[in-house]
Amino acid sequence: MANAADVRSVLDLPSTRKLSVQTARKPDGISRELFSLIGPSSTTLVAQLAKPRLKQKPNLGQGSKIKWEWRPFKNSARTDSLQLRHWTKASAEPDAEYPFAKYNVQPTTFTYSQDEYTRYLDDKEWTKEETDYLMNIVREYDTRWYVIQDRYEYPGGTTRSMEDLKDRYCSVCRKLIRNRPWAGDDASKNVLMSSFNFDKDREVLRKKYVASLESRTPEQIAEEEALYMEIKRLEQNERRFKRERDDLLRTLAGIESGLPDVVEDETPLNLIISDSKRSKKKGGADPDSPATPLISAPRRPLPPKNTAYDLQHCITRTELTPLTSAATKAAHQPAYLRSFKLPFPKASVAPKVTQALAELGVSHTRLVMPTQGNVALLEGLIEAATALVETKKVVDKVEYDIQVLKNRLGMQGPATKMEETDGGMEVDEGGDADGDGEGEGEDGRAQSVVSTRSARSRKHARRSMSISSVDTSATVSTRAGTKRQRRT
Amino acid sequence: MVNYGGDEVSALVIDVGSSSVRAGYAGDDTPKAVIPTSYGYHRAPLDADSAMTDVAEGAANGNTGKIAKMYMGQFGPSVWREGMEVTNPLSDGLIHDFEPVSALMRHAVVDVMRCNISEHPILVTEPAWNTSANRERMAEIMFEEFQVPAFYIANTGVLNAFAAGKGSALVIDVGQTMASVTPIVDGFVLRKGLVYSPLPQLVHAHARHTLLSPSPLRGGRGIDLFPHQLIANKMPVEANAPPRFALREDRTKGTTDSWRAWYEAREVEEWIQSVAGVMEQGWNEQVAASRPPKQYEFPTGYNAYFASERYLVGEQLFWHSPQLIASNPSVPKTLPTLISESLRACDPELRQVLVGNVVLTGGGSLFAGFSDRLSSELARSFPHVKIHSPGNPVERRYGGWLGGSVLGSLGTFHQLWISKEEWMEHGKAIVGQRCK
Repeated sequence: MANAADVRSVLDLPSTRKLSVQTARKPDGISRELFSLIGPSSTTLVAQLAKPRLKQKPNLGQGSKIKWEWRPFKNSARTDSLQLRHWTKASAEPDAEYPFAKYNVQPTTFTYSQDEYTRYLDDKEWTKEETDYLMNIVREYDTRWYVIQDRYEYPGGTTRSMEDLKDRYCSVCRKLIRNRPWAGDDASKNVLMSSFNFDKDREVLRKKYVASLESRTPEQIAEEEALYMEIKRLEQNERRFKRERDDLLRTLAGIESGLPDVVEDETPLNLIISDSKRSKKKGGADPDSPATPLISAPRRPLPPKNTAYDLQHCITRTELTPLTSAATKAAHQPAYLRSFKLPFPKASVAPKVTQALAELGVSHTRLVMPTQGNVALLEGLIEAATALVETKKVVDKVEYDIQVLKNRLGMQGPATKMEETDGGMEVDEGGDADGDGEGEGEDGRAQSVVSTRSARSRKHARRSMSISSVDTSATVSTRAGTKRQRRT
Repeated sequence: MVNYGGDEVSALVIDVGSSSVRAGYAGDDTPKAVIPTSYGYHRAPLDADSAMTDVAEGAANGNTGKIAKMYMGQFGPSVWREGMEVTNPLSDGLIHDFEPVSALMRHAVVDVMRCNISEHPILVTEPAWNTSANRERMAEIMFEEFQVPAFYIANTGVLNAFAAGKGSALVIDVGQTMASVTPIVDGFVLRKGLVYSPLPQLVHAHARHTLLSPSPLRGGRGIDLFPHQLIANKMPVEANAPPRFALREDRTKGTTDSWRAWYEAREVEEWIQSVAGVMEQGWNEQVAASRPPKQYEFPTGYNAYFASERYLVGEQLFWHSPQLIASNPSVPKTLPTLISESLRACDPELRQVLVGNVVLTGGGSLFAGFSDRLSSELARSFPHVKIHSPGNPVERRYGGWLGGSVLGSLGTFHQLWISKEEWMEHGKAIVGQRCK
């Protein structure tokens, strides 16, 4: 293989061998042939091919060996002198305490004399011998009551339930603590006493419940679950009804309904709508600023002084339609720029409205001068276009339905004609009602947002709609009817 | 050193079961020596004078004068010897003959593990229904015969729970001869909830009957259960075709009845282990028939495909036909019966705890689909069932030994050993006091 020097000699270039020999040494991880071709210049490659540096190995043993010894040890937890052997470090102390001996903890046990027994612990159900046996077995099995009950076999005694045993043991301990001189303070005594509290009747009852819970049949379990679901559902319904009733009461009677959470509108609405700059300027000097407590209160006309001021500063005031709904926070309107509130068609018909407007050469998305008049005009336009589109939709649908029914009538006998038509209509209305309900809701929102003028124009639109299609207006009334029904 | 509470004192753990004796160091994960519990022996001629008795008396404790030589371990009962009898010192999981058991333990520890038995503390296991006379006898053997420095005897139920890492558990142990259900609470057996039955023996008998009885599937014949030791040569045959083999005529005369019974049992056992299964969702004739059949070849060369009958074998563990129960009132109880009986004897509060901590163990539980079937049986009556069943067959078969290995290597356990000194001082009573 030709290396760089060969190439140079062929091309009669001066040799650079001397220089390269001086500067570059072949790094690790790169073959000799490759290095002689690329020379020392390609540093990046070298960096990549360099052997990766591994993390330094941890020095676990601190360098030195550890000597271990097979050494006998004594366990201080044992009472005898058994010596077992285990591996320990040679450096460890030969007579150190066995590390596991400390886990051998003895529980505190209560013992009593014959005198104490006759004075405090006498019980007609228990003899002293059996009580002794009980105390012993409790100590032996370290108050593991399940095991104690399993192993409890007092010769000649009656069979005792776990509650009997627990009750006797706890009462014995309580009585001993109570009647013996106590070295510590009363609080610690009470704590110890309460640790031996045992309510036998309650425990028995609880056990009985547990047992009965287990002896249920699958049918009972299924029934229980079904009942549980049902009660959950009923509770939920109840809550919803109550909430709706309260809402309704609040709406109708306002604060007189006596319900909490009735929101009083503290600032007059017209003031809020007016220019922010002006309201700031006026501040507390305005006689209108004290809140009108009730929405039903008549709205006072603005003082004439303001009218002059408005004219001077090109301020136009919009009269809000008196709101019938509660003046809640959602209905509150801060000051806003008119251009923010450009009307938009309903989302469901937006493409079609846009298309219709485009046919007229109008784009509703961008209003160059959103003056009050322009906005009102645009709104009127959109409303009209929407109504048009919706009417068209309804017409299409009705036509289609008529077509379908005609086809069906053609197949069936003329006797069933009336019925069929009725059924078809009903279905129709349902569908329309839904669509219209949505429309109404959206329009309602728009009404609260935009000026009075728009509301008026909306009314026009509504009228035109009702003229253009009987069907739709009918459905609107149906809708209202259903609503009323549900409320009551 | 004190990691995980372990402190190994080179204790040995010996677990004597019906099928095998397991021995090994505490702290290991598998026993070092596993030898069959059955052993072969030659009887000394009864009318012979004592001078004629065998030279190899050392292996057997020959004070009865009956057994002249014992054959144990790997080359024990499985090797054919003329006139060799085979027997098992355990019946229903309990040791009824201690002399061969001590010989077996010595064989496992001294000959297989090559340990000096008097140097190590020894932990021995016992079934939960062991008698106190038996455990005292065991202690006596350990201290008097083996001269061990310390000894402890622990319950296999508790040890199985420990092997599963649980203090409280419902241990379902299906061994070679006995099936038991043991409730364990805080490392103690609830004796009132302990139930056991010789169910695996019934399963074995059923399998043997299936193989031996003439069946139309097999051309109206039963299957010959000759072991390979007795077969001189054989020819390959088609499935279900009559086998073509020649017996070793020289051996037929010297074969004893006990050895024949042992090898037949072993052939049946091997067939069960390779073929038998359990239906996961309860018995269903159609599903059982739709499962793929399994082929099995016997030492005679006879081979056959076993389809639904292989599931009938495992079914015996879970369900008995009313006819069978009517015809034999003392038929061993099925596992679901045992479990519900055991739980009924426990406190109602404990039942849910136990059912959530079921430990399945024992070589008899290695039927395919066993744990699935068990969980579906339990799920019928309990909402939250959790079964711990080791997938590793060694852990499943030697769970008792494994728990002993765990227990014997704990630092806190070393205060519980019965030392030789205590044995000398208190005598047999110390065993019952210490090993609760």
